[in-house]
Order: sequence, then structure tokens, then C-alpha cells
Amino acid sequence: MRKIVGPLLTGLLVVGVAAAIYVSADKQLSQLNKVTVRGLIGSEKLAFFQDPRVIEAFANKGLEVEVKKSGSREIATRHDLNNWDFAFPAGVPAAEKISRENQARKSYQVAFTPMVVASWESIAKILEANGIARMRDNIYYLIDMKKLLEIIEQGKRWTDLPQNESYQARKSILINSTDIRRSNSAAMYLALASYLFNDEAVVENTTQADALVDRLANLFIRQGYTEHSSAVPFNDYLIMGIGKAPMVMAYEAQYLYAASQSQLRGDMRLLYPEPTLYTKHVLVALSEPGEQFGQVLTTDPTLQGLMIEHGWRNSDRAGFDSFIQSRKLQVPASLVNVIEPPSYEVIESMIQTIERDHYGGAH
Amino acid sequence: MKAYLTLLSVVFSLLLNGCSGPVEQVSILAGSELKDIKPMLDEIKRETGVEIEFHFTGTLDGAETLASGAHYDMGWFSHAKYLSLLEGRANQKFIHGSEKIMLSPVVAGVKKSVADRWGWCDNAQVSWKEFSDKAAQGELTYAMTNPASSNSGFSSTVGVQSALAGGETLQPDMIDNEAMSGFARGHKLTAGSSGWLADKFVAEQHQVDAIFNYESVLIGLNESGQLREPLCLIYPPEGVITADYPLLLLNKAKQQAFSKLIDYFKQQPVQQRLMSETARRPVIPGVALDKRFPDAVVLELPFPGKVETVDQILMTYLDKQRAPSTSIFVLDLSGSMRGDNLQQLKQAMHNLAGGDQSITGKFARFRAREQVIILPFSSQPMASQTYDIESGIGNDPVLQQLRNEINQLVANGGTAIYSALDSAYGLAKTARAQDSDRFYSIALLSDGANTQGLSYGGFRDLYRQNHDDYAGIPTFPIIFGGADKQEMEKLAHLTGGRAFDSTKHSLSQVFKKIRGYQ
Repeated sequence: MRKIVGPLLTGLLVVGVAAAIYVSADKQLSQLNKVTVRGLIGSEKLAFFQDPRVIEAFANKGLEVEVKKSGSREIATRHDLNNWDFAFPAGVPAAEKISRENQARKSYQVAFTPMVVASWESIAKILEANGIARMRDNIYYLIDMKKLLEIIEQGKRWTDLPQNESYQARKSILINSTDIRRSNSAAMYLALASYLFNDEAVVENTTQADALVDRLANLFIRQGYTEHSSAVPFNDYLIMGIGKAPMVMAYEAQYLYAASQSQLRGDMRLLYPEPTLYTKHVLVALSEPGEQFGQVLTTDPTLQGLMIEHGWRNSDRAGFDSFIQSRKLQVPASLVNVIEPPSYEVIESMIQTIERDHYGGAH
Repeated sequence: MKAYLTLLSVVFSLLLNGCSGPVEQVSILAGSELKDIKPMLDEIKRETGVEIEFHFTGTLDGAETLASGAHYDMGWFSHAKYLSLLEGRANQKFIHGSEKIMLSPVVAGVKKSVADRWGWCDNAQVSWKEFSDKAAQGELTYAMTNPASSNSGFSSTVGVQSALAGGETLQPDMIDNEAMSGFARGHKLTAGSSGWLADKFVAEQHQVDAIFNYESVLIGLNESGQLREPLCLIYPPEGVITADYPLLLLNKAKQQAFSKLIDYFKQQPVQQRLMSETARRPVIPGVALDKRFPDAVVLELPFPGKVETVDQILMTYLDKQRAPSTSIFVLDLSGSMRGDNLQQLKQAMHNLAGGDQSITGKFARFRAREQVIILPFSSQPMASQTYDIESGIGNDPVLQQLRNEINQLVANGGTAIYSALDSAYGLAKTARAQDSDRFYSIALLSDGANTQGLSYGGFRDLYRQNHDDYAGIPTFPIIFGGADKQEMEKLAHLTGGRAFDSTKHSLSQVFKKIRGYQ
């Protein structure tokens, strides 16, 4: 027995070692031809970059992509951007700032998605009964944002609304967002509210902004603790449900991706603010490999298709439509009432004032 | 031959475990309630190649430890909101990744016979306000942890405060002092940690009507077979605060191990197992709640958004709202205390008298309205000194006086632990006869075995004879120096207290911890 086991074991070990050498040699060979690109991304795009199909599509183009997620506002204010190949935040304002203040080689308009309110059938019905929301195409709703912000500012609670049998919560009516100091989706909510508070005009300078900033701050302060990136409140929406927050500011893409993954419950509803705005996902290439990466991402049809499968809209309109149809989803064919966000400087100044006056200067 | 077989089994287990590369070790500073994850550690190591080394502590303690830059690879607490607020205030970044692993709301468990009296069982309308009203009228007593030491007590306090503030997110100026004092009248059992509170509730279940704790702990109590009657779980309609147990990445170099752990914990079977074994709710959509959890929607209250609000809630509670404490410190001044031991003792007392400016120190120090009694002993009990704390801050003359007295302590003579303890119970009994609306407790420090006066057995007999007068006054013995560990633990058990081991932590840290129980 002793004699047999000895050689057998040795044989096993030899095979093991040989296999290890073979595997690592093969890996090294392919890595020789592959370019590794490193970039900073908004958290909402993490699932896309972790999708094995996406990794494979990049590999086919000789790229290995390493990403680190961060709040979009945090990306724009980092000091070490020249150590990265690309920055891929959410929102034009952050991308513009990065382009301007760093040696950006090129920027690419990759995708866009409208801001939505992720909510529930019962909530939509209450809002509808109170003249704040209207149903479209039997499935999604449009919210009159001006009216909604009015009742929010009045400090109304859900129990204060007439014709509300189904959500008897003594909670203030609020839209839950992320932390205004860190994340793009909160900044988009700020942009939207600033437009409505400014008599339906884009805030153009800091004088206009200063006049509105206390009212705007209240939308966030009254929420209490807020999360740093948009993935968290949306996941709370999926898991903790209507009890955690009846209305969550989100990206349409998050909702559509969750729907395509069968993560939604039957009574979840998508509410489109009127007006709304788009979050544009602009890729800023900061190095030569970053540029190569941008080129592949915006031209490779497989990757374009996969972006759509993750819920984003891009230049392939027909592709988006067929994704929606194939998953039996329903979204507005076109959004008419879409506004532009204020410039980066104006948004930044509003956020800084809120930070200084309402959060004691820290973030 | 044997060596070959061992080697063979190692090779096989390497082949079987499915993960490549060597085992990676990570240190995790974790909330003490996560001890229930320990049975999974072997499986985690097998499945992920990550070997977890847990260091347990309380939520607030842990937040302070991490905020002060301690080196752990990861953190894992009932929530990270306070830590995140501290991070923001300090303008630092030490959380490099955060993923929720499981959920448990902090709710009320009311004894069925009591709940039935008011039709509260399975009644979704029972509000925080009603708890507050019943407590204010003296009709409801409850067990709750100290909100400054434990998250379940803090979450319950926020629930009542928010309800009294009309459902708005709490801001520093909204803390309703008077109404909250009514709620605090019912607080009869306290503790520094949620797990220990549950044990205390089991031991003294005839004393109180209700307990505030994590849903998971209350479900566990109902399934334990240790309750004389079941608890009705109540989820007040103003909302509750849910602990979401995020795993936190602190050391960036451990990013890969962090991702592996997250992937592991978020698998469907693991989430299922966490739910069945720990009664915490899953965080992925694919796992449905089992039938131990109610169907109804759990409404969530907003968590305060600023450090100042949290501090204000805690300070107001400790200084104005809760029943004040009478805290008796029985301190060994025998000859063996001379030198470093006495120095440590003086430092610890100084810290409680306002010398510790850290976050936890701020909450642990002697409070407004508190009565501190110092009873030193050596060969026999010495004269006691009573200090009625006024403001408890800054230049409070009483604190000043207390600090002076502590400075003058000298060690000399023998060790008459139980005679001193018997005197302490005498003092407590007299004080309680005059004012029963206070928390009475005794902290006992001795660095050696009993050498004189009453023996442990003699004390035990006296305690039993005087049970009616002494019950509800727990002793918290500190295992220090050459103290008799077993005897100290027996003493803690006898009096409904808890022994604290000071062989691994400084005396100052242990005193701070005991404050959570006073």
C-alpha cells in the first residue's frame, strides 16, 4: 500500500504542477496582447462592467477593464485623475468639470437615461386621486412635479391626503434621494427642483441660486440620513419596499434593468416627473488606452446592445425599442417635457451653500 | 504513511474547495450580536478562501474605534450611519466599500397577557405614542438598552422622539423633552448590549411588561422556550429603524476578499440560511420571508441626518429624560492596589468625572441628576462619600470635589470585599426606600481574593435573606489583577449583574462599558 500511494501521489502532484504552469503560461500569453484600462465609474454602472458578457466583449477587442465605483461628485473633485485612464461619472456637469480641469483627450457621449421616481401602484393611485399624477398607456404615470413639490414644501403627511386608504403612514411626503453632497442622482433632483422653484427657468447664475437654496436644502435635510450612491436607495426600494420609502428618485435604467432581471414585484410602478431631465453618461478619456476604451464602447455593436440591456438609452433607438418590447416593459415613446440642468458651476455653488449652511460645512 | 495520507487529504480538500490561491486572512471589527455568524466561519473559509478573525464590540464603541483610525480590514455592525456621519464631519474617508448583508427592524415585544389587556396583539395601529402614554401613566414597564451604548435602545428612542415630533425627521431643535420623560418612566431594565438585555429579560421577566429589541432577538426569545408567556411583536405605524448590517471595507488592500465575501453572503442559499438561523431578513429579492415574519409592510423612520441630532438625542435622554442613576462604586484600597493598579483606578474614575473627551467618553461620564457614591474598603469598609452631580459638565463643583477625593485615595491593608459589598447594599436599600424612581447599581473593583470580614458564602446568605430589599440592584464585579474570577461571576449571577474582565482591556475601558449598564 505504502509503495503504491507514494508514486501515485507524486504523479498527481506532477500533473498538478504541470497544469498550473500550462495555465499560467497561457494566461500570460493572452495578457501580453491585452491592454488593461483603469477607470472611475458612478456606482450605477457597476453591474454593467461586472456582466460577464461585457467583460468578454471587451476582451474580444483586446481590452481588460478595471473599474472602481465612486460618487459622481467625488470623482469630479479627485486630485489623482491623471493616474486613471478614464472617468465615467453620471451627469454632464461632472464630466464637464473633469474635461476642463484635467488633460482630457476626448469625451464620448455614451448613453443617457431619464430621471424617474420609483414607486408603487397604491402611491400612484393616491397621487392620481389628488390630481398630482396621471396614468399613461395603462402602466406608467406622469407626475406633475410642480404640484408634488408644493405639497412636499407644505410639510404634508401621507395621512393628510384625502382619498388615501392604502398608505396610512404618518410620514412626511418626501422623495427619497441620495446624499446631495456626494451623488449625481441627488444633484439631478436638485436641478429639477431648482428649475421649478425658479418659475420654470434653468437657474443661470449664483444670484438666482442663492435665493432658492434654503428651499432646496429642505428637500434633502428633511430626509435625514441619505446614502452616498444611487445603487443603495434603489436596492432598498427592491428589498425593503414601500415601507422604507414610497417614492425614490432613480434612473430609468435602474428600473428597466431590475425589470429585465425579474426583480420587480407586480405592484411596482414607474413615475415620470414632468418635467424631467436626462442624466447623460459621458466618458472622459484621460489617456491613450482610455481613448481606445471609449472608441470600443461607443462603436462596438455588442457593447451598445448590452448597454441597452442594462436599461440605458443610446443612439440605437430601434435597439432600445426592441429591448422594451421583448421584455414586455412599457415606457414613454418620447419624453416631451425635458429640461437641461444648470451648469456645473451653478449646481456646485448650490451644493456648497447647502453644505455650508445646513451641514455645518462638512460632508 | 500517515503523513502521506494527511498530505493526500490536504490535496483533496484543496481540489474540493473550488477556490484557488492561498487562504487570505481578514480582521473584522464587529458588533457583538454578530457572534451568531461564527458557526458559518468554516464554510465561509471553504467557499471563499477568506478566513475571518472577528473582534467584537458595541456599535457606538466600534464607530469610535474606527473613526479614531484603528487598523481593521473590515467592519460589520448593525448599521454604519453614525460612522458615516462621523466620517463626513471629520472630512475623512475610511469606508471604502459598504454592502448590506441582512436586515432586522428594532420593534417592541409586549407580553401577551399585557397586550391583550389593551387589544394590542396583532394590532397594526399601536403607536409609539401609545407606548409613551402608557409608560407615562405608570401602566407599562419595559426593558431597553442604554441608547448611548447600544443601537437597539437608540433606535427605540428615535422612534418615540420622531412620533412625538409628528413624523418629521428629527433635527436638533425638535427633541421633545417633557413628553419623552413620560416614556422614560417605564424604563425599568437597562443594559449596555442588546444580547445581554435579552438574557436579563428572561431572568427577570416577571419585572417588566415589554422589551424593545431587534425583531431577530424577539423572534429568538419566542422560540427559545424560556418565556413564561409569548411576546406580541409590535411594529408601530409611525415607523421603526431597521438595522441593515453593512459589511464595510476599511483596508483598500482587501478589496478582493471583500468582494468575495459580498458575493458569498448574497447567494440565495446563504441568505436563506441567515434568515432561518438568525431570524434576520434577506437583502436579495429572490428570497421570500418565511412565516415567522409578519406580512404587513414595515414602515421605516428616517435616521437622523446629522451628528448633532444624534448627540442631542443622547445627551437629552441621559441628562434630562431617563430615570437618574444612583451608582455605587465599591473600590479596593488594599495594599496590593498600591502603585500601578491604584493609578489605573484613579485614571478610570477621572475619566468618568469628565476627563475623557472622546465620543464614548462624552456619553459615559457622570451625568446631571446622577448620584455617585464612593465606598472604599481595605480591611473593612471605609466611610462612603455621596456626590449629587449637578450639570455634569465643565466646572461642576461636585465633579471637581469628586476628582479631588479620588486623588487622595491611598492603598493600605487587607481585602474585605463582602463586608464592603454588604455595606453598599445597605446604602442602596436606604436610598431606594426614599426614592424608588432611580436605577441603582454597584460596581465592584477588587484586585485580589477576599481576606477579611464576610465570606462569599456569608454574603450570599445575607443577600438571600434580604432578597426583597436587594433585588433589582445588580452588582457589576470587575475581574482585575488577582481577583477570583469564578467567585466574581457567581456574584454577578446572584445579583443579576454582569462580570467584566479587565485582564484584556484597561480599567478605563471597562468602567466605560459598565456605564452602559448603570
